[in-house]
Amino acid sequence: MFRIGFVLAIAALAPVWAAAEDQVFRDQIEPILKANCAGCHSGSQAQAGLSVANLADLLKGGKRGPAIRPGESKHSLLLQFVRGEQNPRMPIGGKPLAEGAVAALATAIDSMKANSQQSPNKDYASWVFTPPASPKIPALRHAASTATLNPIDAFVLAKLEEKGLAPAAPASKRALLRRVYFDLIGLPPTEDEARTFLEDGSSGAYEKLVDKLLADKRYGERWARHWLDLVRFAESDGFAIDGERPTAWRYRDYVIRAFNNDKPYDVFIQEQLAGDEMQRKPAVRGGQIENEGMLALGFLRMGPWERDANFDAQLRLDWLNEMTGTTTQAFLGLTVGCARCHDHKYDPIPQKDFYRMQAFFAATRIDERPMPFLESEGRLKMRQTLRGLEDKQEAASEQLKTLEKELRAKLAEAKKGSVAAGDGKTLEVENLQRALADKESRAITADDRKRHKELTENVQKLTLEAARYQPIAYSVNEVAPPAVLDIEPTYVLAGGERSARGAVVEPGFPQRITGNSDPAKINFLRYRSGRRLALAEWIASPANPLTARVMVNRIWQHHFGEGLVRTPSDFGMNGDRPSHPELLDWLATQFVEKKWSVKAMHRLMLLSNTYRQSTSHPDAKQIADSDPDNRLLSRMNWMRIESEVLRDSILTLSGSLNHEAGGPSMFFGVKDEVAQGFQMFKWYPSDDKAQLRRSIYAFQRRSLSMPLMEVFDTANMSESCSRRSVTTVAPQALTLLNGELSAVESQRFAARVIELAGADPARQIGKAFSLALLREPSPAERQKASTLYEGRTPQDALARLGTVLFNLNEFIYLE
Amino acid sequence: MNKEWNRRNFLYRSLVGAGGLALMDFLNSDLQAAASSNPLAPKAPHHPAKAKSCIFLTMLGGVAQMDTFDPKPALDKFDNTVLDWANEKRTDQPELYSKPRLILKSPWKFAKYGQCGMDVSELLPHLATCVDDMTFVKTITGENGNHPAATFLMNTGLVLPGRPSVGAWVSYGLGTENQNLPGFVVLPDYRALPFSGSQQWGAGFLPASYQGTMMQWKGDPINDLRPAGGLNQKDMQDQMALLREYNHAYLDGHFTNPDLQGRIDSYELAFRMQAEVPGVLNLAKESEATRKMYGIDDEVTRSFGTRCLMARQLVEKGTRFVQLYTPSQSWDSHTDILKGHAKNAKEVDLPIAGLIKDLKQRNLLDSTLIVWMGEFGRTPDHPADLRDKAGRDHNTKAMTMFFAGGGTKPGVTVGATDELGWKAVDKVYRMRDVHATILHLMGLNDMRLTHYHAGRNMRLTDTGGELIREAVA
Repeated sequence: MFRIGFVLAIAALAPVWAAAEDQVFRDQIEPILKANCAGCHSGSQAQAGLSVANLADLLKGGKRGPAIRPGESKHSLLLQFVRGEQNPRMPIGGKPLAEGAVAALATAIDSMKANSQQSPNKDYASWVFTPPASPKIPALRHAASTATLNPIDAFVLAKLEEKGLAPAAPASKRALLRRVYFDLIGLPPTEDEARTFLEDGSSGAYEKLVDKLLADKRYGERWARHWLDLVRFAESDGFAIDGERPTAWRYRDYVIRAFNNDKPYDVFIQEQLAGDEMQRKPAVRGGQIENEGMLALGFLRMGPWERDANFDAQLRLDWLNEMTGTTTQAFLGLTVGCARCHDHKYDPIPQKDFYRMQAFFAATRIDERPMPFLESEGRLKMRQTLRGLEDKQEAASEQLKTLEKELRAKLAEAKKGSVAAGDGKTLEVENLQRALADKESRAITADDRKRHKELTENVQKLTLEAARYQPIAYSVNEVAPPAVLDIEPTYVLAGGERSARGAVVEPGFPQRITGNSDPAKINFLRYRSGRRLALAEWIASPANPLTARVMVNRIWQHHFGEGLVRTPSDFGMNGDRPSHPELLDWLATQFVEKKWSVKAMHRLMLLSNTYRQSTSHPDAKQIADSDPDNRLLSRMNWMRIESEVLRDSILTLSGSLNHEAGGPSMFFGVKDEVAQGFQMFKWYPSDDKAQLRRSIYAFQRRSLSMPLMEVFDTANMSESCSRRSVTTVAPQALTLLNGELSAVESQRFAARVIELAGADPARQIGKAFSLALLREPSPAERQKASTLYEGRTPQDALARLGTVLFNLNEFIYLE
Repeated sequence: MNKEWNRRNFLYRSLVGAGGLALMDFLNSDLQAAASSNPLAPKAPHHPAKAKSCIFLTMLGGVAQMDTFDPKPALDKFDNTVLDWANEKRTDQPELYSKPRLILKSPWKFAKYGQCGMDVSELLPHLATCVDDMTFVKTITGENGNHPAATFLMNTGLVLPGRPSVGAWVSYGLGTENQNLPGFVVLPDYRALPFSGSQQWGAGFLPASYQGTMMQWKGDPINDLRPAGGLNQKDMQDQMALLREYNHAYLDGHFTNPDLQGRIDSYELAFRMQAEVPGVLNLAKESEATRKMYGIDDEVTRSFGTRCLMARQLVEKGTRFVQLYTPSQSWDSHTDILKGHAKNAKEVDLPIAGLIKDLKQRNLLDSTLIVWMGEFGRTPDHPADLRDKAGRDHNTKAMTMFFAGGGTKPGVTVGATDELGWKAVDKVYRMRDVHATILHLMGLNDMRLTHYHAGRNMRLTDTGGELIREAVA
């Protein structure tokens, strides 16, 4: 029902086992196991699938995994069970093994040589840490000519042929239309757009459509969301205060522009890590320097930040750790987080390497840097809006001051009459505030209080708004330019503890990739350490074995629902193994060859037959048995539209969507009781029109998501999210059936249908289906829908029908 | 799971075809649907356990142990004096300890209660009558003296946001008994929600099905339980009927997608929830005596009392995990503890005692684990310049918590703090040990309860917690 179950397909190859190890088993292990364990763990009824009959069986293990790990008694399940470190203690129901016996087992296992000669892990490691070489496109047995195929199809078909499977038929034109629209721009096609494509019988119709959508500005709004998930984008700090980051939206718009302009991915990486250190010539546009580097650096700032932390040093360390972890996860697809405290258990990443990576950031500090608005950000409009807001804010402050003056006079008047007159302090603001807070105060009326609250909030609101239009980049800077030689040393910290300093390390790349632990070569730049640039250039290099593979896999994942590697941010030992390693390598080399063009990758994948397949397969039984998870892509994967796409699509159907692009985020409406629960910030909803903007422009507050987003598996804003879970739970049904969005938009949808179709119910029903599903209703559907008209106005009947259509499986799933 | 599903689905269809009638029979079999596709279907525990549900009472802000359950006569002796702290490095909050500090004796008197002779201060007269059903641990230590970080630690085992909460882990491990209700319910106080809001009860990297569902005690308990558009019963039924019809028709020829069926089921559950959930909040059906036990009709105790009663109703109906919160920072008496703690104690004392007694009289206490704790304890001293309005500051080195029911050993006190109640010294436990103990009592082994994420098998207790053995019956 929900997809968490990617299968960790680590093939268990039979090890070539040295005779010496067998000897150890027979002499030292077998006697103990025979006496104590073989009663249950042998023969055809072996408990938990574990047999202790011979060494091979122990190595193969049972349900819980291999029973012993040669050379590592501590990590051997057998020992853990007999020691009671795992439940239940073995032998179950019997007396625990004598200490001597346990010790003997441990010694025997430790004396065995760790067998890694033929290990599949080793093969995988040598593949994944070596830069991809362009593999040969496989020749096929059945296809007439490989040359006419999109190479992607050749790779996919080759695997299918191996398994004796055939690919599915092409998807229907309608299914393909919906698929590619939602995939590329995250919105359904209009009726006209649908007709144009469905009626275009020419051979290039689909290709034309793909190109059109890639050139659509809404493509960037759709694909930026995937990247923002990955970089834990948020516009607030998280933690107690969860304070606003007023200009964080500039990073979001930077990402949207990067996708729309097809910014080469290597440049995209470098800008985000070292936009301030890059030496490239800035492009000149309209006399203004369009250097986006400063905005791109927002990437390094997107993690949570404890603004009221007690300890600056700890806060900084947390920040550096977070940045190191997210950088390696997002760009390299490696999880190095564990190595913060100890050598990585699964991956060849020693603890030292974590801190060598962290050292690239040692000269970095947070900074809100002045950065004039770019032409592409609407420079003039930004400036005008800011000026307008400042004027309004000034006027509002004046109004407030005038009122306070009035109220103070009133207070003074009241005091005069009272016995306590003569106290000189009575005229101070503090007392006005006290009087305002004091509901018993007779001088200040409820009306005064209300007006004062309104005016105060108005000033607050305008102050908040103005801050969002300040020409400031939410960015980073060097610790102390120009004294870059005084960069604080980076220490290996035992257990990740700040106080447990070990050796000093220099910036360096993971040794498993470079093959050495030499410090990275860093060119000092003027006023800058050059450290981040060195890291950025190493990552954004064709020689890096991971960068291109990881990114093409991410692109693949969003087109096909699953990556070729299904753990897109974990290409390490514990991650998934690629279903098509050669295809992945071929795509990675193509990516570099096409100058890191993301759009070129889209085209390549979208124009393949593999992408254009149906989700159904004629040999359903055969594929259900031999490839249940559809790893070989004998058919297209089903996909469910994500929370943002769902909301944007409903707004599109009802004609409400506000297409305004870019700029500060919109604040959606929240229920009063929710709004009142926040003490550290006030939430002022935007005006109605702004609230109808696309979901990517909704303000991303860590402690408050839109209810629809929260319930439909949106990304957790605190950690990098490479793969959203797809859950199906009842609160989704409640929200989508009963929530505010459906209630309002179904009425608008109904009005729109009536406007387009006129007064005839039959035409209205047809129109409703055509808008929502791009097809005519069947006679049965038509008849059922018409029953809604009984006892209802057409407007109400269509609103009910609209709600049903928004909730349909056919609407929310993509065939 | 997918494989299972596909095969079952396929076999089923090849046997009976996709005919409407047969299909309806299939759908009507609740159990079948639950077993196959519902992430919240009940799952077998790792080992047999008494506790079937847990009610976690969260005292936000941090309760002063030396004013509630951990009396320290030495504080009377040293009251208003400066003690030499030089031998202990108080590095957790350097700013706090840079100023001179004075010891503060407890403003409240202690007495011994129950057969176990447990010390309780006069702050909590009602809980004092339940001590023979409670299990105290005086030595819980934390890692970070800030509210949000410490609250995250208490809820998720890590001081940073983003991890699954205890309730999510328990739902993940055990599912839930009543498929018409959420498995993990959160009952916060709307006067002030916990810091970071829903992230405190989030599912983190676990599937979202396991996240806490926030219920309100005023108005509708669950969001969108009733239609926002003011629809009548017939509107809703017609919509549901049409949706069911269309969705079933769409199953035809689309059986490569098992989620289609799952989503149909989720609508049926939502429909049942609309009927079931309002009943949970039916306080009218509770007797006068019960209302009194929880303090429903007294303004001071109404908020916490109503939610304690909801918790009992939910547990009765099979909800796996219920977590209550006091208002954010409510216990945080840096100044004027006399007023602050008195107010908070009054709000929760009677309702919690009522909950324990009510569960007991309904024979539910054995199967319900109650956990009571805050994010940290408080210090025996305070900054000297605040003498006239003295309070106590955050303290991660010792906190008292208690369990009740659910297979704990009643009338027992575990561990001891130093002379001043500042630092746990005997049988010192960490938050993760509390987590391991909760899991254990509910039948889960903290080492075995794992979820693969970000390159490794993650656990609530990370590398493992230590069971607080002395507290377990």
